[in-house]
Amino acid sequence: MSLVTSLIMRQMRVPIIILIMAYAISILGMVISEGVDDQGNPWHMSFFDAFYFVSYTATTIGFGEIPYTLSNAQRTWALITIYLTVVAWFFSLGKIISLVQDPMFREALKENQFSQQLKRIPDTFVLICGFGETGHALAKALTERNIHTVVIENKDKIIQTLPLEDFSLVIPAIKGDARDPEKLIQAGLQNEKCAAVIAVTASDETNLKIAVTSKLLHPETCVVCRSELEEFESNMFSFGTDFVVNPFDTFANIFAMAMHSPSLHLLYDWLTGVPDADLTNPIYVKEGQWIICGFGRFGNELYKQLLKSNVQVTIIDPSEEKRETFLNRPENKNNSFIIGTGFDAHTLTVAGVTQAVGLVSGTDNDSNNLSIIMTARELNPELFIVARHNKKSNEKLFEATHANLIMQPSEIIARKIRTLLVSPLMIAFLNKARNQDTSWANITISRIVGALGESVPSIWTLHVNEKEARALCQVLHLGRVIRVGNLLQNPRQRENQLEAVPLMLKRKQKLLLMPTNDIAIKSGDQILFCGTPGALRSMQWSQNDIHSLNYIMTYEETHDAFVWRKIQQFIKRNDRRNRPRQKRHIMK
Amino acid sequence: MNREKVVFSFFMILALTLNFGFYAGEVDNPNHHNVYELFAVIVVNLIATVLKFGDRSQMGAMLLATSLVALVQLFSASIVWAYVVNIQGNVMTADTMSTIISLSGGAMIANFISVILLIIETSMMRH
Repeated sequence: MSLVTSLIMRQMRVPIIILIMAYAISILGMVISEGVDDQGNPWHMSFFDAFYFVSYTATTIGFGEIPYTLSNAQRTWALITIYLTVVAWFFSLGKIISLVQDPMFREALKENQFSQQLKRIPDTFVLICGFGETGHALAKALTERNIHTVVIENKDKIIQTLPLEDFSLVIPAIKGDARDPEKLIQAGLQNEKCAAVIAVTASDETNLKIAVTSKLLHPETCVVCRSELEEFESNMFSFGTDFVVNPFDTFANIFAMAMHSPSLHLLYDWLTGVPDADLTNPIYVKEGQWIICGFGRFGNELYKQLLKSNVQVTIIDPSEEKRETFLNRPENKNNSFIIGTGFDAHTLTVAGVTQAVGLVSGTDNDSNNLSIIMTARELNPELFIVARHNKKSNEKLFEATHANLIMQPSEIIARKIRTLLVSPLMIAFLNKARNQDTSWANITISRIVGALGESVPSIWTLHVNEKEARALCQVLHLGRVIRVGNLLQNPRQRENQLEAVPLMLKRKQKLLLMPTNDIAIKSGDQILFCGTPGALRSMQWSQNDIHSLNYIMTYEETHDAFVWRKIQQFIKRNDRRNRPRQKRHIMK
Repeated sequence: MNREKVVFSFFMILALTLNFGFYAGEVDNPNHHNVYELFAVIVVNLIATVLKFGDRSQMGAMLLATSLVALVQLFSASIVWAYVVNIQGNVMTADTMSTIISLSGGAMIANFISVILLIIETSMMRH
């Protein structure tokens, strides 16, 4: 018996016993009290008659005085019956209704429903702790890629509105404090289907606690943490948290990418974006003086990046203390620090906004940021503007400012974690790509646009193993050569190329950027592709279906009759199942 | 002293004693068996059953099962009675009476088992 049913049953005891007592007293009284039948003889109701009479009286149906008109003695008892049973019914019904409305009972019911939903998840799932803006964006992106998610959140309102939203998979959600290990276990932390835990609550401390709990209770699971303060970050890494995502740090890297190589930034934007969105245009940053308004964590990170590229920077911040520490550092001697807020024209003019090329509005207050952008634009319409966007609700306002780069922490984190979970190779690819020059990025972009057209590509990884590419492995075990180019042929019409581009090949620990079509595939390779969803489906087909693979290979290798013959033999052998097993080994 | 246990034991033992009172006498003699007693057994048994609702312990489940068995037997007995006397309109015969009594005898065994389980549970608590 589940806790919920047992809870209901236990609460129902008193109302049911009261009903039984009321009925018993009424029936007994009706049987005892004397009446008169139609011939005028003394008569008593049988238990059957009495039960019938009380049943229709108690439920206020009231068929009347059956089978004979009641005597006054019987009527007296009938009066008692009416008040007794009707009140008993009201009491019992009231009890049941109040039980259903009891918050504790409702919670028990919800938890029951949650564990049912958890059981029904057929696949592995990702546990998201904290369903704020980041959690929401992540859940949306993951469910769209058919990855199941489970949510734990301590705000009642969010839990209640979650089922109303339109996600492509059911997201089981449980209310509770994620710092409580019991709750995390209840949310499925120790479930073997739990593949990853993502701690994206607003507090670093909570995220740290979640990471510790997860690593202790389920060490195999992948733990991803959001962190905004460095001391927490190093702490999280110390016990083996797999990934720590810092929004400021991440954005500073993106910013640096945009500064140094617009094409690379464009590539990043495409490959990590939501599939099927429109492609964005490259961002070009001119050389010259920069102004940073607000010298907090965000301003600091961007300042470090600007310092690296030897740009002159003017900082505007109201804090005297920050100015002192800033000026005491020797590396800052070329740059100036102005005390002020930045949203008045005077401070901005003093800072030299008219000659500057770029401005960062990086305070933690959205109204201030918007005001800085508006004022600065008026003074210098040519400015390159980097805006810090704090609250999701202000999205429309920031869009309207047409800032060149907008940093929205939850969006940045969601994008990074999504990439980490969906295509881990993509992170390696981007790290490697960062070291390439602009012309490399330009060539890559033109290849992608040439193959896919003008929409954000899907990203997938081909694992050359028995599970995911059966046919491919079978053929490779025979010692046949399959090249990257073969995979890009359309299994429907082999003369056509699939709309996909191989981005990177991983063989053991070696990474190869943009593998060319003539590279031979080996078992155990991982290949990162970008392409259209249709290309992904076709590619899966040729990897797993020996006939499709055969069709592709014939075309490519017609000149190499020997190879083809061998494959043909192999296929025939596979089809004719009656061949003895030993012989296969001999032939190998 | 656990008040819940006292109340439950009271109803359980009362069900057994009333059941015995109804059962005792010649099997086929309607004069030896009082209909009020049967009514009382049913009511007391119903209450004893409801008192075990939502008990998650093993002993609670066993007691619920035995009380339900007793109830099924007693209901059958009362339905036989009502069918013969009120629906068919016959007088109570020795034949019908023995059917009713044997059914209530079965209920008595179920109630007896309940009381034994109750005693076992109590004696286990002592040790």
